[in-house]
Amino acid sequence: MEFILNSIRKIDNDQVKEHAFGTEQSLEEKLAICFINSKDFEKLNLVSSLHLKISNKEKHVIVKVKKDDNVPEGTVVMPVSIWSNRLSLVQNNELLYKNIVVNVEATREPIMKFKEIIQELLVK
Amino acid sequence: MKRFTCSGCSLLCGDIIVQSDGIFITEVIGACLKGKERFDQVNAKNRITSPLIRKNGKLIEVSWDEAMNSVVEIIKKSNKPLLYGFSNVTCEAQEAGIKLAGKINGFIDSNASICQGKFLNKAKSLGINFTTITEVINKGDLIILWGANPAETIPRLLNKLLFSRGKFRMTGREIKTLVIIDPVKTASFRVMGVRDLALMIEPDKDIELIRMLKEECCSADSIPSEGVAGMDQNDLKRLLLHLTGAENGVIILGQGVIQPHSDYDLVEELLDLLQLINERQEKGRISLMLLGGHFNMAGFDHVALSAYGVSGHLEFGGNQLIKTKDDFVSKIEKDNFDCSIIVGSDPISHLPHSLSSKMAKKPLILIDNHNTATSQIAEVVLPTAITGIESGGLAYRLDQVPIELNKIINPPNNLPSDEELLNQLYGLLNQGGSK
Repeated sequence: MEFILNSIRKIDNDQVKEHAFGTEQSLEEKLAICFINSKDFEKLNLVSSLHLKISNKEKHVIVKVKKDDNVPEGTVVMPVSIWSNRLSLVQNNELLYKNIVVNVEATREPIMKFKEIIQELLVK
Repeated sequence: MKRFTCSGCSLLCGDIIVQSDGIFITEVIGACLKGKERFDQVNAKNRITSPLIRKNGKLIEVSWDEAMNSVVEIIKKSNKPLLYGFSNVTCEAQEAGIKLAGKINGFIDSNASICQGKFLNKAKSLGINFTTITEVINKGDLIILWGANPAETIPRLLNKLLFSRGKFRMTGREIKTLVIIDPVKTASFRVMGVRDLALMIEPDKDIELIRMLKEECCSADSIPSEGVAGMDQNDLKRLLLHLTGAENGVIILGQGVIQPHSDYDLVEELLDLLQLINERQEKGRISLMLLGGHFNMAGFDHVALSAYGVSGHLEFGGNQLIKTKDDFVSKIEKDNFDCSIIVGSDPISHLPHSLSSKMAKKPLILIDNHNTATSQIAEVVLPTAITGIESGGLAYRLDQVPIELNKIINPPNNLPSDEELLNQLYGLLNQGGSK
């Protein structure tokens, strides 16, 4: 299903906070996450044990999903992080962090680990 | 107990009370969640307190001499070093960074260039006014958050702007109107009262709102009855009345408005609208304020401007400032760099994957005080003291006001400040001769 991805700063899911805790587990707990409207949650046949696979022409990412009715229908919100930035784009020499067209689908695959993303970057 | 300025975000609150014996901080009073997190970083599990070098794929603790020599070797092999970050350091460290860039013929830029920098430069060129926090407290009667969510990014900003009583605003909140324009109902919406206006705009429809407001400014009653971009006609009429009738209004812009578009420039269109409104204003004016997350996001431009008369990025060749068509993004996109020196920033987390993957493929030197995604790919990591807690210096608040930060306790292992470390590096390179 096609959605619009907005990556935003959320104080409870902020990198700075996680740096204060300082573990990979806490980073994954707070940042490998997305928020969608409860109506979209139903449309995607999601249950709490499923994750969301979000993809665009660049990459894909698998993250936990939570209901949040402050998010409009058709929009998926992610805290700014190494997870959301797998999907952010460079457009006309500028960085696009919001209003990114993505495809979303429910998945049983595990969430993408911090180490997994780093390993991918380290492949020279 | 003493009062200190918090370096948790770019608001630089000066009313934080800290109890300390000079070695440990025992109590912090008055800090918001972000400020508290800044203080928590002193003893965080991922704090780096010794220099690290990557050996066989793993970061290993080494002596300062070995780490500094390794950095000098990387720099000496480099022809096109890229220096980036500098928003979480003092102006003195920014100045030292620029001096180092001149020494090694590098390209230097700050995080502001991918955040508020472009907007700031365009606004300056058009002559749009920026306002200060003090002015909004004392005179402001309209606060518009456009694509900005200070409740979660600069937590105490609304306390100061909206709820404070000022010299000409003795009734405080009662006389100040808050308007929020955002596609997501963010935490900032929770402070809204009956006199305020919440405008839930459809995603990526800001341009429709701006163009309609411009049209309405020129010919009344051009707002269609069905509204614009998901917003009600009456709400839009109220918005225009606020904009044209405010005595002292401020529009606070967040990343939501600074996003690029292929067929129009939203920033320019918004600045045009502001000019139009200010021309129509009979008794007041509308000004701008930009939100930057890092505590000295605004500082780099001031330092670059005072050192070289140029705001934004600088490039050096033959140890002289040279003209460049590149910016930070194009440098990485075109692979026009061969090593990077990152200071107080985490670009591997913050940049799109297409750019961070290019950065990860070149030698990277990190100067920072804690582990991040960037430290995971760095060749050398040089730890420094936490500014505003373990070292002091000057920083520019988000409204471009300079504020002094003070040292509260000594850093662990006598870690140098960012400024000291950059100057040491400059000294070492000087001993080895100019490139």
